[in-house]
Amino acid sequence: MAHAEAATKFNKNEAKVNWHDKALWFVRQKRDRQAHKIQGWEHLRDYASALKANVLSNLDTYLIQFEENAKKNGINVHWAANAEEHNKIVHGILQKHNAKKIVKSKSMLTEECHLNPYLEANDIEVIDTDLGERIVQLAKESPSHIVLPAIHKTKEEVDELFQEHLGTQPSGGNPEYLTREARKHLRNKFLKADAAITGVNFAVADTGGFVVCTNEGNADMGAHLANVHIACMGMEKLIPQEKHLGVFLRLLARSATGQPITTYSSYFNKPEEGKEMHIVIVDNGRTEQLSREDFRRSLHCIRCGACMNTCPIYRRSGGHSYDATIPGPIGSILSPGKDLTKHSSLPFASTLCGSCSDVCPVKINIHEQLYKWRQIIVKDVPQPFVKKTVMKAAGSVLAKPKTYDFVGKTARFMLKNTPKSIINSKVNTWGHARDLPEVKGDNFEEWYKKRQKNE
Amino acid sequence: MSRESILKAVKANKPDALALPNIDLSVFDEDINLVDRFKENIEFVGGRLLELNGLDHLDTEIKRLYPEAQKIVSCTKQSGLGTVSVSKETDPHTLEDIDLAIIKGSIAVAENGAVWVSDEDMFVRALPFITNDLILVVPKNAVYLHMHEVFEVISKREKTFGTFISGPSKTADIEQCLVVGAHGAISLTVVLY
Ligand code: SF4
Repeated sequence: MAHAEAATKFNKNEAKVNWHDKALWFVRQKRDRQAHKIQGWEHLRDYASALKANVLSNLDTYLIQFEENAKKNGINVHWAANAEEHNKIVHGILQKHNAKKIVKSKSMLTEECHLNPYLEANDIEVIDTDLGERIVQLAKESPSHIVLPAIHKTKEEVDELFQEHLGTQPSGGNPEYLTREARKHLRNKFLKADAAITGVNFAVADTGGFVVCTNEGNADMGAHLANVHIACMGMEKLIPQEKHLGVFLRLLARSATGQPITTYSSYFNKPEEGKEMHIVIVDNGRTEQLSREDFRRSLHCIRCGACMNTCPIYRRSGGHSYDATIPGPIGSILSPGKDLTKHSSLPFASTLCGSCSDVCPVKINIHEQLYKWRQIIVKDVPQPFVKKTVMKAAGSVLAKPKTYDFVGKTARFMLKNTPKSIINSKVNTWGHARDLPEVKGDNFEEWYKKRQKNE
Repeated sequence: MSRESILKAVKANKPDALALPNIDLSVFDEDINLVDRFKENIEFVGGRLLELNGLDHLDTEIKRLYPEAQKIVSCTKQSGLGTVSVSKETDPHTLEDIDLAIIKGSIAVAENGAVWVSDEDMFVRALPFITNDLILVVPKNAVYLHMHEVFEVISKREKTFGTFISGPSKTADIEQCLVVGAHGAISLTVVLY
C-alpha cells in the first residue's frame, strides 16, 4: 500500500491523529529545551557528524579493531551478512545453551531481521521487555516509532490488552496501575529467562565494548540475570574511541526525548564471571548503502527518533503508514535502498521542509536525500498514471542530477502550468489535501540553497 | 561465517578516508557551580539529592528516608545498615526481594544528573537494577561538568562493566504519561558528601 493510502486510514480517527500530532510535537519541544540549555550544542552535532563520517570511511579497519578488542575481553563475535544469517546465529547460540525462554530489550535491528517470528517458529519464547514493545507485541503489531513504540496506542487500548493477556482489572487506562502490573509480569520473565538479547547503541572500536541505553532498566535486568547475553548490532553502530562516547551520549537522549541522558547507559566490556557474552555484527544491506554516495550518510543515524517527532507528515500519518521497520524521514531514505519498488512512495511522504535535517544530532541531510530518491524513483519506478502525467515533462530533466539550474526553470514552469484538475483528480491521493506549492517567480535553485543552509 | 565477505565489501564500498576530528573541549566550557547544576538535573530526572557534611550521620539519614526497608544490601563500609551480605559469587536471582541497596558511586555528572557506578563497587551487576530503592554515595569533589571530562577520568579503570545511572527507572510508554518505577529501582537518592 502506498504511504498516502495508509495515511488516509490513520487519519480516519481525527481525535487520535490530533493527539498523536501534539504528543510528538511536545517531545520535539522538550528536545529543543535540552538542546538550547547546553553550551556548544551545535559543536556537538558537528563533531558527531564528523566522527560518523570518519567511521564510515574506515569501517573495515574499525570493525577488525573492535572484534580484536572484544575477543581479548572474552566476548564472542559473530558476523552476519543478512537477516537470515543473523537469526541463525542467534538461534545457534540459544540451542547450544538449550535456552527456551528469552527476554529481549529494544533492538530495531532484530525487528529488521524479524528475529521474533524466527525464534518462535523454533519453539522459543521471546518476550519484548520494553513496556512499549511489550504492548505492541501483545497486540501482534510492530512498533510505530523507534523510541516510542506504542505511541499509536491509547491508554484504553492498553488497558484492554492487559486485561486479556495479563489478567489485570479494568482501570480505564490508568498508566500507573498498568505500568505496575507490567513490572510484575516482566519481572517474573526476567527471573526465569535462559538468555537475554539486547541491542547496541554504540560499539567502541578501541575498547571492544558496547553501550546500551534504556530508561526502564530492562536491558540490564535481562543481561545481568540470564547466563547468556547476546547483543545484536548493525555494523554502523561503531564509534572510534571510548572518549567519543562523551559526544554521542550527550546528544542521544536530548534529541530523543528531551532528557539530559537516559536513566541507564550501561557499558559492557567483559562478561561477568561464569557467564557468556556474544555480539552479532550485521550487514543486511548496509554495505550496499555505503556504496551509494548520495545516501551513505544515512548510516550516521543513531536512532534517536527526533526526525520523526518533528516531521509534519509523520506526526499526522503515524509510523505504520510507512510499512517499514524504521518509519519517518530517516526510514524513507533507508527503505528505498532495500526495496525501491515496494517503498517508492516513501520519499514523497515529505514536505521537504528540512526540519528533520535541522534536528538530526548527527547532521544527516535527510530532506536532501529524500529529494534525491525522488529523482531516482521518477526515472526508475513505474508511476501511477496521474503522478506520471504531472511529472512527465519534468521527468527527463529531474532525472539528470546536478543540473539544478535547468531543473529550477522546469519546476517553475511545471508548478505554474500543471492544471489543478490533474493535481486534484481522484486518482492522485496526495492532491486532495495538498496543492502544489505556490511559486512566486522565486528561483528554484535559490530556494533549494536556502533550504540547504538551514542545516 | 560471512566475516571475510563483509569486510571485503566494506573495503570496496567505503568512501575515501576522512580524518578523525580533533575535539576542542573548550567550546563546552561553562563557569558554573557544579553541585548546583547536578542538583538541578537530578531533580529534573526524578532523583533526590542529599547533601551531607561528612558521613557521620549517613545511616540516620538513610533510616529517615527509607524507614520501611528491611532487606538492605550495603556494598560500602560507609554504611552499616546492610542486613543481607553480597559478594561476587552471589546468584543475582536471590536479590529479587531486596528493598534497598547502598552503593558507592565514583563520579557524578553535573550536566545530566548521572552517577557512574563501576562493577567493583556494585559487587553483583544486577544489584542497582533489581533493588527496589537505590542509594548512591558520591564524594563532593567527584562532581564533573560534562561527559567528556568523565570519560577522561575513567579511562584508566579496569574495563569490565559500568553504568551511568540518572534517576529512578521510568517509562512514558502509555500515552506519554511519565510513570516512575519501570523495571529498575523505583527511587534513587544520591548522597553527596
Ligand atoms: S536520522 Fe537523525 S534525527 Fe532521525 S533518527 Fe537518525 S539520528 Fe535521529
